[in-house]
Amino acid sequence: MKELDLKVVGHDAVRLDGLEKITATAKYADDIDLGPGMLYAAILGSPYAHATIKGIDTSDAEQVPGVHAVLSGEDCPGRCGLYLKDSQLFAKDRVRYVGQQVAAVVASSQEIADKALGLIKIEYEPLPVLQDPIEALKPDAVLIHPDLGDYEVVPWLYPQPGTNIAHLRKVRKGNVEKAFEEADYILEDWYHVPHVVHAPIETHVSAALYAFDGRLTMWNSTQSPHTQRNILANVLNLKHKDVRIVTPYVGGGFGGKAGVNMEVIAAACAMKVPGHPVKIRYSRKDEFQNTSQRQELKAYVKMGVKNDGTIVALKHQLFWDVGASAEYGSNVVNATGFSATGAYRIPNVWIDSYAIYTNRPPCGAYRGFGYSEFHFGIESHIDRVAKALNMDPVEFRKKNAIQEGDTVAYGVEMGPTGILKCIDEVAKAIEWGTESKSDDPNRVRGKGFALVWKAPAMPANESSAAFIKFNEDASINVLVSGMELGQGFMTAMGKIAAEELGLPLERVRVELPDTDRNPYEWQTVASHVTWSCGNAVRRAAIDARNQIIKVVSTAHHIEEASLYLEDGKVKCSTKPDFALPLEKFVINGVQMSDGTFRGGPILGRGSFMPEFTSAKVDPETGMGGHPNVHYTTGAGAVEIEIDKETGRVRVLRMAEAFDAGKAINPDLVKGQIEGGFVQGLGTALWEEVIFDEQGRIRNPNFTDYKIPTSLDAPREMHSIIVEVPQPDGPYGARGVGEHTMIPVMPAIANAIENALGIRIKNPPMTAEKIVQALKEKAERSL
Amino acid sequence: MKKEITLRLNGYETTVAVEPHEKLLDVLRDKLGVKSPKYGCGRGECGACSVLLNGKSVRTCIMYAVEADGQEIVTVEGLEQDGLTPLQKSFLSHNSFQCGFCAPGIIISATELLISNPHPGEEEIREAIAGNLCRCTGYGSVVDAIVDLTRRE
Amino acid sequence: MKTFDYFKPSTLVEALDLYEKYGSLAQFLMGGTDLVVNIDNSLVAPDYLIDLKGVPEFSRLQLAGSYLEIGASVTFSELVESSAVRDHFPVLWEASRTVASNGVRNRATLVGNICSAVPSADSAPALLVLQALVVVQNRAGARELPIADFFLGPRRTVLVPGDIVTGIRLPLPPASFGSSYIKMGRYDGEDLAQVCVATFVNDEGAVRIAFGAVAPKPVRAYEAEEFLNGKVLAEGVLEQAVPLAMKSISPISDVRASKEYRLHISGVLLKRSLRASSSRLQGKGPEYGMSLV
Repeated sequence: MKELDLKVVGHDAVRLDGLEKITATAKYADDIDLGPGMLYAAILGSPYAHATIKGIDTSDAEQVPGVHAVLSGEDCPGRCGLYLKDSQLFAKDRVRYVGQQVAAVVASSQEIADKALGLIKIEYEPLPVLQDPIEALKPDAVLIHPDLGDYEVVPWLYPQPGTNIAHLRKVRKGNVEKAFEEADYILEDWYHVPHVVHAPIETHVSAALYAFDGRLTMWNSTQSPHTQRNILANVLNLKHKDVRIVTPYVGGGFGGKAGVNMEVIAAACAMKVPGHPVKIRYSRKDEFQNTSQRQELKAYVKMGVKNDGTIVALKHQLFWDVGASAEYGSNVVNATGFSATGAYRIPNVWIDSYAIYTNRPPCGAYRGFGYSEFHFGIESHIDRVAKALNMDPVEFRKKNAIQEGDTVAYGVEMGPTGILKCIDEVAKAIEWGTESKSDDPNRVRGKGFALVWKAPAMPANESSAAFIKFNEDASINVLVSGMELGQGFMTAMGKIAAEELGLPLERVRVELPDTDRNPYEWQTVASHVTWSCGNAVRRAAIDARNQIIKVVSTAHHIEEASLYLEDGKVKCSTKPDFALPLEKFVINGVQMSDGTFRGGPILGRGSFMPEFTSAKVDPETGMGGHPNVHYTTGAGAVEIEIDKETGRVRVLRMAEAFDAGKAINPDLVKGQIEGGFVQGLGTALWEEVIFDEQGRIRNPNFTDYKIPTSLDAPREMHSIIVEVPQPDGPYGARGVGEHTMIPVMPAIANAIENALGIRIKNPPMTAEKIVQALKEKAERSL
Repeated sequence: MKKEITLRLNGYETTVAVEPHEKLLDVLRDKLGVKSPKYGCGRGECGACSVLLNGKSVRTCIMYAVEADGQEIVTVEGLEQDGLTPLQKSFLSHNSFQCGFCAPGIIISATELLISNPHPGEEEIREAIAGNLCRCTGYGSVVDAIVDLTRRE
Repeated sequence: MKTFDYFKPSTLVEALDLYEKYGSLAQFLMGGTDLVVNIDNSLVAPDYLIDLKGVPEFSRLQLAGSYLEIGASVTFSELVESSAVRDHFPVLWEASRTVASNGVRNRATLVGNICSAVPSADSAPALLVLQALVVVQNRAGARELPIADFFLGPRRTVLVPGDIVTGIRLPLPPASFGSSYIKMGRYDGEDLAQVCVATFVNDEGAVRIAFGAVAPKPVRAYEAEEFLNGKVLAEGVLEQAVPLAMKSISPISDVRASKEYRLHISGVLLKRSLRASSSRLQGKGPEYGMSLV
């Protein structure tokens, strides 16, 4: 790809949503006033993690003055789900996790709704509770979804009726057994990553109005307006054109606001009270208990290597606790199944990735989509193997790093990648190889490294579309349904449009989604929208540019090939004096000498769908398809300091490098690196959802689920962008939003090992665990 | 039983009828149209609901509106009445915020800090915003904007 | 959702009269940072809230004779900003800085903190080593009691219905002393203490030690104090004091820490705090306010 002289793309600029956000003008879903007719909802959650429902009696609740509607499983039959329809709006015959929605009351005040809720009588018969995925695989384990065989499912997922397995992805490459026999050194071990939550600062909010004209309008804090519309239309038996999802700014998504969650409940409530808006704002406790979590992973890793450090075989078995519903989490299991080699060239691979039901809250998309979890095991394991061979862990990684042209585990060729440059840049920034010492005799320091890759996990036919409309003053509105979550999506799309149309960025608006007006976007997940929607916006801009050039060429009798756009004007390469400002004609057309006009409103349209992806693979080997579009690679390292007496870990310095292909917004990519690092830091050192024996969450608040503060973030952060172009990306761009979180857990585990000689295989790597491990190490050496 | 309270809100005397159990956060947002303080946790732990009460930052999600009767409240809407404050300008040019949900609370905390200490060091800045949880930025760009501002002045 | 009536008396007598009228259906409200959350979580359900922030004498924060008088509505922020507190009672100053966040410190009061009587209350170990006096008033009159007699157990004090704690009195320490408050949390951000300790030493060799979050109530470690009194606080001596201090505490395992970790950290913090106090007694660092974990 030739070097382009780009005026806007790749240059830092004030983000398009910046002014709105620092003036507190930006509206989030709860900021929208719905008028005095608004009704309030209260939702009843199951107190049991697993129980059959013997009876539901809502009659007393219905009698309370001010109650407009009471809903339960009786009202909302049918199953729903993104990939596997194992979910219900309200539990009907059985509850499968603590807090699962069983009923709801809609009333004229929150007080009345809460009061009436207390009058609903539900008779439960408790069932055995399963919380461990390995236990759930045992032949005598209670079946959480006995009707699994009846559920509608996409063709590329394989549920196993009669078990608690919602999906099993197998990958078989080469011959691992033979390769292990020929290996010089083998290491096998288990790693255990617990449940964590997204904890966006804005909780889930959904408001719905079912009007008397039969239209359902919703205002949701979501990453997926069109996917939501699709699911809701199907579940509620409405036509797509009669469901309108309006999405204001989202106060943090991280995957937790992908797909559909509590919005179905708001919609169902609204449909019971036509003409009245109903708003549900989740409390922080609801957010912990009743939105999707990140799955727990118990992973078995067995790696075989030659003495020279070549990895020859990998067996990786991933046992995922997807919770009570696998409607979304099944794809996490699927996606990781394909990629659980990590960013390495390995000739013999055996991967089993199991989606296992338990009586824990449903687990869905969480930044990294399973990759953070399995990288913890793989990258910890890599360090241990390197150490056993007396090889430097960074050199070991470089030796085995996957390169362009290598074949991944499922038979597809790896695309262009700056992976080696990422490794070198990070090693340089962290001063790898140089030991650092603390002045405090109580403290030791260490460094740790991790290598990362991730592909967007998407259906083969994911797609994006964009409209660009010009205004009289040659400003433009770009209409897309990708979501600005804070990652800088809006600014990236704006820059692409500005670049192709030769406009200054100040003339560009990018509109937040409204499914009535903005064209389709699959979801804002998977770190794919810069690539996919960026391509759509670029096509729309080129389409508009072609219309502009055509009308000017026709009206002024100039060859199209010599016309170009620059600084808001149409210019001519053969006539230096020709400069026609766009505002003269983008709405009103070009006037001819005879007084007639040519042209009219300029309207760009672009649509993008990859045409080379296929989920059609052999279920036994994972081969034969092309399930992933491309990989983004990167590396991360930390320098930590540990207080040996208290076990407290602090990150002094971090470095991360990612191959973004082409950073459309370099400073915002830096923001993703810093933010992703700190979110990863939380999961590495402090975050864990703690359940009791009955499946109840013991820490559903910020008092006891600690997310990083300004005092916990490292003071020195090196964010490095590498650019090896993605051939089919806009200007070479590929996504990085999730990736920046992935190296953190293993880099810290490796740094702890470097500092103290202890290996912790189960994050969060709390001060207490470190003190315990030091104690055990001291006892072992006696 | 409803009580009528009077607040000096962003410079204007404002009277509103409230029930004693109504939180100041909900009264500001739902009755007075002041949307900058946000609901983040309901327990005073995340700082998204912060406003200045008599010049000091408080968490409106754990305050009853009646407690604010006769007192002065300043929110981001009030701070920017005559144009962006230097702090806001610095946040803007640094692209400090991402999803923006924590921004009003951080602006309140940082404003409180700079009123009492116009030239804080980096650690003092981090201490001042330590009670404002942000899940997006990692805090670096926020701190940089405040440090930059205090160096320039 | 709990609803209630609200009153804001402007005198102490008015407040006492209101309580007399409504009795156990009423709760006193000051900073509210604990109470409001407890009401939201249905841990308490008052029908009447009596807001004490309107009683003028409660805002008193001043040296009077050989005491610092701290009224019931004095907030942690006010303590942090007070030069009297910083100069004469730096252990309380240090403890105050560790409370929650800026917004909470601007509302939460010292008196409210001890009345909550949570075992991990940040101010309690500091007040214990400062030998604070708690001033209580009811319709019968006023009384003072040592802070060591104030706590009974988790969320339980010696207060009976009708009592209002009107303030705390801190006896001025001698000119030469050293003190330290250390709080162990899960990270550097805001946290409840897994363990907290306060120590105080003076140039007569008196040593006072108090722990929080490791017993049903904040406690003094009298056995360890007795052992250390009059001794030079060398490393070997500190080491010997640890098992004695452990006799005064009985930590539990909870979602924040295990019993074993709390025991371990109690010993670590005790030594660090005594080293700091001893060093400060000699006019050396660490500077008050520096983190020692």
